Amino acid sequence: MHPQLEILLELQDLKAQKREMEEAAEEHSREIESEVFQVKPEDAVLHLEEKISEMEEALEPEVLKRYRLVSGRRPRAVVPVLSGMCYGCFMDLPTSMSKTNDEIRWCEHCGSFVYFVA
Amino acid sequence: MELREFFNEDVIKLELAGDTKDDILKELISLLQLPGKSEGILFKMLKRRENLGSTGIGRGIAIPHCRSLVVNRLRVAFGRKPKAIDFKAIDEKPVSFFFLIVAPPLEVSNQYLPVLGRIAQLCREQDVPERLSALETPAEFLELLGDKQV
Repeated sequence: MHPQLEILLELQDLKAQKREMEEAAEEHSREIESEVFQVKPEDAVLHLEEKISEMEEALEPEVLKRYRLVSGRRPRAVVPVLSGMCYGCFMDLPTSMSKTNDEIRWCEHCGSFVYFVA
Repeated sequence: MELREFFNEDVIKLELAGDTKDDILKELISLLQLPGKSEGILFKMLKRRENLGSTGIGRGIAIPHCRSLVVNRLRVAFGRKPKAIDFKAIDEKPVSFFFLIVAPPLEVSNQYLPVLGRIAQLCREQDVPERLSALETPAEFLELLGDKQV
């Protein structure tokens, strides 16, 4: 896997974890985290924000530029590809696109970075 | 939806070998049979979640969980370490029973939180630690889930 893609994946997973902690709509999650696991969602969000900033600094300038651009206009900058379909915009990717994660690639329709799920 | 639907014998290991928190997490991840790189990413995410606060909920039970792009559907696993290990659990007691839950960030059927909640509910039942200790085969674990109807 391309090392920059690995960072992008981790960033996306961290953002998912942060969203899980902070979304008011997900009261059930907050209840589980605070009552079962005794984690304060507010503290967890701050901790995750720090980690996200730290990891963003590890992205190469060109990758960071696209990451910020896509993050600004779409809910997720990195999306999985399943059965040849981009899960950012649900459009089919070109069949000529190799199905490995050894390169940094993005969907030509929505611009999201793509990750091929094995 | 019942928990039994998400487990099969391949994701149940009643004799975990690891002696540390990291070893146990890696062993649980290996039950999911993901590609090598994906295992590493998932391990980092689970560790990050543990850094927010241990998922050891007491009574010898831990529920490591996270969302990650490395899976394309909700995945679960169960492991038992007969000689309990330190997992920094809430009650500071060692942990023997581990339920792993991983789901993709985008989940069409949105099962992650309900499954997490049901496992937490199962673990609160008084006789569960004892029954988990007494298991002799993975099939008995599946029977236990069926009996509990969670």
